[in-house]
Amino acid sequence: MTGCSHAVSGSRVLSTISESNGLASFTQRDISGMEHALPQHAVEIARPFGFPITNSMLVTWIVAACLLVFAQTATRQMQQVPTGAQNLLEWLVEGLYRFLETLLGRHLVDRTFWYFASVFIFILTANWFGLIPGVGSIGWGHEVGGHFVVDRPLLRGANADVNLTLAMALVFFVCWIVWAVGENGVGGFFAELFAPKGESKGVMRLLLVVVFFAAGCLELISIFFRPVSLSFRLYGNIFAGETMLDTMARMPYIGWLVQVPFYFLELLVGLVQAMVFTLLTAVFTLLICQPHHEKGTTT
Amino acid sequence: MTGNLHVGLAAFGAAIAVGLIGARASDVVGRNPGSSTQVMVQSILSIAFAEAIVFYTLFLVR
Repeated sequence: MTGCSHAVSGSRVLSTISESNGLASFTQRDISGMEHALPQHAVEIARPFGFPITNSMLVTWIVAACLLVFAQTATRQMQQVPTGAQNLLEWLVEGLYRFLETLLGRHLVDRTFWYFASVFIFILTANWFGLIPGVGSIGWGHEVGGHFVVDRPLLRGANADVNLTLAMALVFFVCWIVWAVGENGVGGFFAELFAPKGESKGVMRLLLVVVFFAAGCLELISIFFRPVSLSFRLYGNIFAGETMLDTMARMPYIGWLVQVPFYFLELLVGLVQAMVFTLLTAVFTLLICQPHHEKGTTT
Repeated sequence: MTGNLHVGLAAFGAAIAVGLIGARASDVVGRNPGSSTQVMVQSILSIAFAEAIVFYTLFLVR
């Protein structure tokens, strides 16, 4: 239920952004006019008991349910030498663990692996789910100039909705604070941000205190901007990909052919963006939780 | 034809930046193939920061 409240408040954020945005109004005009374009926000498809459900939320739940069912069935009968689904899952989880271990170090990865692995697997599955034919092309619509136009698709790529990406970024923001305070302590957390590093004495020390305090203030701004950039990066990439596929498919006569290479590009983008989100959050965590006690383990 | 100049300029700059990062990254991996995982991490991070500029202009600038 908390995820849903994120989604609702996030939707208000998006609507204020798109109202104040020239690009959005440009797209809106296109929809009402003759040209058809993908809407920037997820479309509401049902409202049971006054609770709005958008097509992106539906895809989010489907993807989450698929992952849950897959994980359960793959690990129901565990074998010493894994085959099939269990093998795939072990390969995925072990690969992620090794990769994150080289980046974060043993101590930190044990503490934070649950978040990074879940987020990677979820984003990857959601991105690739959005590429299945039928997502975005089956739904409610109307007749325009002799052919049928879908303007309320039943399904829409989960990350093509800024509410989901913002929710994931905000969850990371809270986790980041919890991990940072847990690793450094409250005092150490603020020292990590504002206190001068390195050895110095006298006037030099005083100067460095001022400099590092100013740098800490700048750092604070960039930290508060992280959820925005994380969520917009993922949303922008996936939404742009869907728009591109949509545009290519609308090309007369050869639309079915020209979109094929772009589907492969989108497969790649889906993987890269899942990795970028995981990597960036992992590096942000590493930056604040630098392991001082175990030197040379974070190569 | 209508559009926004700032988005075009940001995309222009980001494309150059991504190209430079990719060129240098493949250069380095060519010299030292063993470092490919580390270089990939660094270059993906840098590319992500470079392309973030486009999203800022897309969504935040009027």
